[in-house]
Amino acid sequence: MVLSALASAGVLLLGWELGASAQSAQDTTATTGSTSTDTGTATSGSGSSGSTGSTASGSSTALTDGTFTGSTANTQFGPVQVQVTIASGKITEVKALQLTNYGGRSVQISNYAAPILRSEVLKAQSAKVSTVSGATYTSDGYLSSLQSALDKAKA
Amino acid sequence: MIYVFETMGTVVSIEPPLRVPEIEAVFAERNERFSLYLPGSELTQIATGALLLQDASPQILDAYARALEWRSLTAGAFTPHRPDGVIDLSGIVKGMAIEAAGLILADRGGWILNAGGDVLTSGQAATVGIADPFDRTQLLTSVHLGGSRRAVATSGSAERGDHIWGGGGFAQVTVVANDIVTADVLATAIVAGGVETLNASTSAWDIDVLAIDPTGNLFATPGFTASIAGAAALAN
Repeated sequence: MVLSALASAGVLLLGWELGASAQSAQDTTATTGSTSTDTGTATSGSGSSGSTGSTASGSSTALTDGTFTGSTANTQFGPVQVQVTIASGKITEVKALQLTNYGGRSVQISNYAAPILRSEVLKAQSAKVSTVSGATYTSDGYLSSLQSALDKAKA
Repeated sequence: MIYVFETMGTVVSIEPPLRVPEIEAVFAERNERFSLYLPGSELTQIATGALLLQDASPQILDAYARALEWRSLTAGAFTPHRPDGVIDLSGIVKGMAIEAAGLILADRGGWILNAGGDVLTSGQAATVGIADPFDRTQLLTSVHLGGSRRAVATSGSAERGDHIWGGGGFAQVTVVANDIVTADVLATAIVAGGVETLNASTSAWDIDVLAIDPTGNLFATPGFTASIAGAAALAN
């Protein structure tokens, strides 16, 4: 959810930097289909709070090289602010400058759960574990569980 | 040696066998108050309308308040409300009971407490096996617990019934956290809420997660992958 908010903020930021109207920024947002109205309003309405790159000229549709800082967008998770770097007309980096503080902890994008292969997950041997975590078993289900085998071995 | 007893429709194992009478009472009291299987329990009386929520005990109101807070924090993925409107606190009560048991055992040195597949440790590093949701006689992998990482909880869609949650969620989700209530609630929330709740949760809380979708694809946070490697290193 945070990732999509960031991506949307990035898209909106680009729309603004292109010198396009707020309307076209909103059109861009609509194609992403994931942003909230809060994000749209905050970013397309007030523009950049700290653009450090060169600005886009006229109605050119090419991306202008430089580093651009978006305004702070208020998402349901709190304020989000991103910086986009464009080189040779392409986005080369999207960096989060300000992330939400939700549940008492700053958001870490790096904590994203990525696909891993079963072969990467080293299969454990039940003889080498102290205990077993699994979906809650009933008293009956316990009897056939690995935890039950471990408990018997330690009894 | 290990201390094993049955409660809350499941089994609790404590190693080493710290036979503290208050521990069984912690689970028994909550079971008697919160069970929807016991006709006379306080929560059953609320479900049937025999008791009004505003007349409920502080224990019920406290658990309900915590559950509603989690409902808000997880954008509704975790909820204490059954589809038929009945207040069902089973999603948080076991975690709260484990938490309370952990406080009773706080000065008892190193131990590992497993309540129906949810694990809390103290003062002791532990290698915790993760059950394979498609073959309960096998372990999928194992993770290393130690330091502030004290809790592991696993939830599965079979636990609640696929008919309730639909097909969008995960088959099984394991959450490693510093406290058992966070681990337990978020594991339940991610099973129900799917990828969206997974990404929101890993961003917002200090947790490590392993999720398995219904076709067996695995998703892990960097911390979980590191913890698997840590467990493997200890086993060799």
